[in-house]
Formats: sequence, C-alpha cells, structure tokens
Amino acid sequence: MSIINYASREIQFKIVYYGPALCGKTTNLNYIHQRINPLNRGDLVSLATATERTLFFDFLPLNALVIKGFVTKFQLYTVPGQVIYNATRQLVLRSVDGIVFVADSQWEKMEENVESFKNLCDNLALQNMGIEEIPCVLEYNKRDLPNIAPVNYMEYVLNNRKKRLQSFEVTSSSGQNVFAALNAVSQILLHKFSKRSEAPQGAPLPIAIPIEPAVPEGRQLPA
Amino acid sequence: MNAIPVLTIEDVATLDGVLGDFLKITEADLIVVIDRGGNVISQCGDMDVIDVTVIAALAAGSFAATRELARRIGEVEFNALYHQGNGSHMFMNSVDDETIMITVFGLRTTVGLVRFYSAATAQNVAEVLKLLRRTTHGLSFDAKDISAGPVFVDP
Repeated sequence: MSIINYASREIQFKIVYYGPALCGKTTNLNYIHQRINPLNRGDLVSLATATERTLFFDFLPLNALVIKGFVTKFQLYTVPGQVIYNATRQLVLRSVDGIVFVADSQWEKMEENVESFKNLCDNLALQNMGIEEIPCVLEYNKRDLPNIAPVNYMEYVLNNRKKRLQSFEVTSSSGQNVFAALNAVSQILLHKFSKRSEAPQGAPLPIAIPIEPAVPEGRQLPA
Repeated sequence: MNAIPVLTIEDVATLDGVLGDFLKITEADLIVVIDRGGNVISQCGDMDVIDVTVIAALAAGSFAATRELARRIGEVEFNALYHQGNGSHMFMNSVDDETIMITVFGLRTTVGLVRFYSAATAQNVAEVLKLLRRTTHGLSFDAKDISAGPVFVDP
C-alpha cells in the first residue's frame, strides 16, 4: 500500500490485471488507454517481447478526482500470463491495492483460468494477503467468441465461495464492460478506506450461482 | 476500517530538506523516493522533463529484476544500480526493505559524487520512514467525500 504525501494531497492506488496467458489483460489496458481523456492518463508502457507477449508488465497511470480534496492516481499494471513468469508476477503484485482477474471464457481455457486464479491466491499468500481481503473483481472475457462457457458455469468454477466477487461479462477487444469492471474495483478500493466501510452505491449484484453447474453433455468439470 | 499511512506536513518538510540538501550538494537533477511496489513517496528537483510516475514503476521493476542476478552470486540483492546514458544517467539505491531512492543526474556531476552522498541521504530518509511506519494512525475518508459516480468514463 502506498503512503499518502499530505503536502501534495495525492493518493496512489495500484490495480493489477491478473489472469492466464492470452486472456486479454493487455487488451483491457489498451482499450482504457485509447478511450480515456488524454488529460487524465499518462503513457501506456509495455515491456513486451517482439511478438507482443508481455515479458515484464504493462503500466498505465490514470488520474481521477474522486476523493474530496485529493488527487487520486490509479496505476494499472498487467502481469505476464505465461506460466514460466511466476517470479515476475510476484514482483508486480507487490504493494497491490486492487485486482481485476481476467478469465478467458473459452471452454478450452477453463483449466488455465482455475490454475491462474489459484496462482494468484498463492502469490497473495506470499504477501500475507488473502483474496477475500483485497478488492477484487472478475472479468469473464471474450464473450463475443462462439465456444464460450455459460456465465453460470464460470461463476461455479471461479466464484464459488462464501463471499462472492463482483463479476462482469467482458469483450475487451470491443471494450464492452471494460470500464464497468475498472470502476467497480476502484469503488470497492476507495470504500475500503472510508470511515464507514459500506458497499458502493449502485454496485451490480452478484450473479446467482446454481446448485448444479450448467455443463453441456460431454464436458467435464475441472478437478 | 482500513487506513493509509500518511506523511504529515512535518514529515514532508523533513524529507524535502534531506532530499533538497542532497540535490544541492551533488548537483543532480532529480531525486525520487519510491516504495518497492512502484509508488512515489516523495520527490525533489526538476520534474518537468520526465514522468515521475512511469520512472517509479520501471525503476521498481528494474531493481526487483536484478535481485535474482544478485542471488546467483551469493548476495541477497544489489544495494545500488547505475544506468549510464550519454548525457543523463540514473543511480538507484536501497533505502530499506520497502523503499528505493532514484537519482537522475547529468553532466554537471559524477556518479562517484552521487554514490558517495546517496548513502547518508538514504540513511536519513530511512529514519523518517521508520518513524512513520511505527505510528499507528493513518488516513481514512468519509464515505460522503468519495464520488458516487463512475471513477472513469468511457466517452
């Protein structure tokens, strides 16, 4: 967590986009960078390989006036999704304030989603943090593709816990719900530090989880 | 209720004094104190030429990435890193387990001078931050001071 410099009246929050390889984390940041008023953002910095795969992280600083009397700076990072870069993911997660977990909705990516979410929990545990303590939302990305799992199934696989996380159906390539997810995690984060820890107004209700997951015939639930 | 640690006006004045003295004596252009997560804690000097936020994020990454290199030769981490350019250079040194100090300097000074004075400056900065981390109070906001609308708007 950052330290507030009371003289400059600036607050900085670090939000990390986490998820499996090629799930659309960088696409989220690219869309935000393209759409947000240039006066309220800095440069998008990408440390990527020659084939545009994230090597270290992507970084996008945003400014907002959301707390009376303070300039709030949100620093958006992505982690490299590829399995081999776990040490880098641990570095990027350092001092994290909020997380957007980006899941790939395609059936064949479900196991990678589950592994990546577990990896997130493990890496947070190394910092003595739990997923239930940190502001976090779920993005079910690539909803425009044909071979996607139903939302209820994704909820069952990734959000089946006592205190469920807010989740969003996202198409990051077209920008659908990209800002909704960012705004949700930002609001949860801001209210974490409010004197009355109340839920943000107007937050979407969690999607109901069926008792039995809606799995088409021939599909296996991940272990 | 959660609270964010705060550098008070007095803390900032003390830090500014320490950093200002360092800049004056070394003739460096800019000094930035950051946490290892890449957040800026304090800064002093010519901030018009570079985006301090981006420098902080990249420097924290660079410092962390060399940790593994250090381990390969039996060190816990490198205490200092030096990036040499043609006209502008960057020197980074560890302040404490949570904090790094970045100095950007040009042709008016030398890396030797920056390195020499950065050790004492880092100690002074560490003292200020140590006191800050011991205090239990922090800042939290009134819920009504937080904007109810969307933080970011997709036009």
